[in-house]
Formats: sequence, structure tokens, C-alpha cells
Amino acid sequence: MLMPRKVKHRKQQRGRLSGQAKGGTTVNFGEYGIQALEPGWITARQIEAARIAMTRHVKRGGKVWIRVFPDKPVTNKPAETRMGSGKGNPEFWVAVVKPGRILFELGGVNEALGRSALERAIQKLPIRARVVVRAHQEEVEVG
Amino acid sequence: MAEITLIAEPGRTTGSSESRRMRSAGRVPAVVYGHGIEGISVSVEGRDLRHALSGEAGLNQLLSLKVGSDTHLAMARSLQRHPVRHTVLHVDFQIVSRDEVISAEVPIVLIGESKSVEQEKGIVEQLLTSLTVNATPGLIPSNIEVDINDLTVGESIRVGDLPLPAGVTTDVSPDDLVVMASITRAVVEEEVAEGEGVEGEGVAAEGAGAESAASDGASGSEEG
Repeated sequence: MLMPRKVKHRKQQRGRLSGQAKGGTTVNFGEYGIQALEPGWITARQIEAARIAMTRHVKRGGKVWIRVFPDKPVTNKPAETRMGSGKGNPEFWVAVVKPGRILFELGGVNEALGRSALERAIQKLPIRARVVVRAHQEEVEVG
Repeated sequence: MAEITLIAEPGRTTGSSESRRMRSAGRVPAVVYGHGIEGISVSVEGRDLRHALSGEAGLNQLLSLKVGSDTHLAMARSLQRHPVRHTVLHVDFQIVSRDEVISAEVPIVLIGESKSVEQEKGIVEQLLTSLTVNATPGLIPSNIEVDINDLTVGESIRVGDLPLPAGVTTDVSPDDLVVMASITRAVVEEEVAEGEGVEGEGVAAEGAGAESAASDGASGSEEG
């Protein structure tokens, strides 16, 4: 699973998830991508599950890019513990995602297979997301 | 390249709320600058903008921009887009001169299909999707076509191999990769597994299953 090798501070505050993605909103490496439509935390386990779902579906061929990295530690207090005595222990890592962010990219496969693989990966994610195609993102749409 | 006429209305009120109202009314806020002209805040009709920039030349379309009583030769240099909807929020129009060399991003389009790569279960990976070229506005190509019919696994096409039209140059290093044909790791692992299977004929099927699952997990940690 993805996680940082070394961190400056072991525990972080939760933060807010307002607004939309500031960068990483276009498909840059592959031909198809998954775009987040909601804000949320995506855990390293979910990223790995989505990646496995995608790579198993395309079987051979194709290349996957993971565009998010779980660099935020999340802490939990042990069960049946009284409140107080400081913050809990770091338990897992999450990637903070805002709407518009490209989460995964896929290349080297035809569109039908690419779309179905990405749809399977979306099922593993805790947020609403959609498949985007690189060829369509240069189109000039006004709305 | 023939110009397309686009009418820009000057004197728009700047600011986020005013721009939002303008967008909901079907207009796109924009700015015009270049050639010593101080930036002018303008707005263009959304439908006309889409029509102008959806032609063969794409975003490099030469525009005859009418700003009030003046007409400028201009190009759309930068499009700000909505992060989710990808609609155009703002456009920068740069005034250009016909005999002045400018730089522009030109898309690289792959032509054909490599049968050899397909037979060997490899993939054609396009590493560079657009090239920054220097040319006068009239000579900027709409796209650069790269023929990949003869590409074989292990071969690559570099920037130096691209067929640039006369009068068009690029500052990008000629050694930079544009297209590469390679065998995917999954195919390599499969071949290795098959080879091991032939060597150790007595190996139980369970062991092979565990191995393939382990290799799947390992490939994930390396990717991205």
C-alpha cells in the first residue's frame, strides 16, 4: 500500500474539504482517467483496491498511473478507551481529494475496455467519480 | 490559415460576481493584450468562441478580433477552465503580427496501428502529446502527424524524427521521446511464469497461483 517513507509530524489535524481541486484536473499521462466529483478522503487501501480491480480487468497490456498519494495520517483511539489522554495512534493514510481531481489514469487499451476497467475501479472508491477521456478535454465548451 | 472574425465587447465590469453573471448569460470574460497595448477587459459570445476554436486549427486558430472600433489579429493563448465541468471560464487573447515568429502548442497525432507491437502484446505509449513550435502565425500547423505503422517493440520516435513543415522550428530537445513501443510488465511476468512452469513440471498448481497473486501486488507498489 502507498504511504510516505518519512514524515515531519506523525499526527495531523483533520482540515476542511471546501472548494474544488486547484490542480491535477486534466488527464496528462494516459488516455482515460477517473475524475472525482465529490470531496473526500481516499485511503491507501481503497487506492490499492481500485488499482487491482483495474489491472485485473485489463489483464495484459495497458498502463496505470495513480495520480493521488495518501500522505495524510488518520488517528484512532483504541476501542473502549476513556476520553482524554491525548490524540490517538496513527492507523491509516488517506489522500485528500477535492472535486475535479484526476485520481487514476489508464492508457494502452481500447476505449471500451478502458472505460469498463475504470468503472470497476470507481466501485472501490468512497466518493462519486466519473470516467473522462483525454481526447475530449481539449474541446471548447461554454456553459 | 484564414482568420475567423470574433466580436469582443470592451468595457466589461471586472470582478468574480460580475463575471459569474456574464457566464450565466452565455458570455465569456476575456482579456486582450500584446504589441504594446495595455490589457483590455472584454467579453465574447460563448457560442461564437466555441465555433471559432473548434475548427481544424483548434486553439491555434487565427482570429480577427473586433474590439470596439479596432480590429486586431489575435490568438487565444490561454484558456482557464472549470475544474469539474471543463467549461471555459476566461480567455487570454494575444495580439500577434503576421511576420512575427511566435510559439504555439501543436498536438501530436498518431497515425495508423502498429501490427508488430500488437502481435507481440506490447503497447504504444505516447509520451509527448503536444509540441511547442516556433513559427509565424500563418505557418503554425494544426497538428503534427506521426506514422506508427512501422513501429516495433523496443523502438521509439523522438522529437528529432518528427516531420516539421518548412518555416516551423522547435526548441524542444531532439532527443525527447514522443512515442515508445514496449512490452508491458504483465506480459513479461506472464512469460517468466510460463518459463518457470516448463522448467519445474512437478510444481503444484497452488504454488503458481500464490506466485501470480504476489507478483500482482508487487506491480502495484511500483506503478504510479
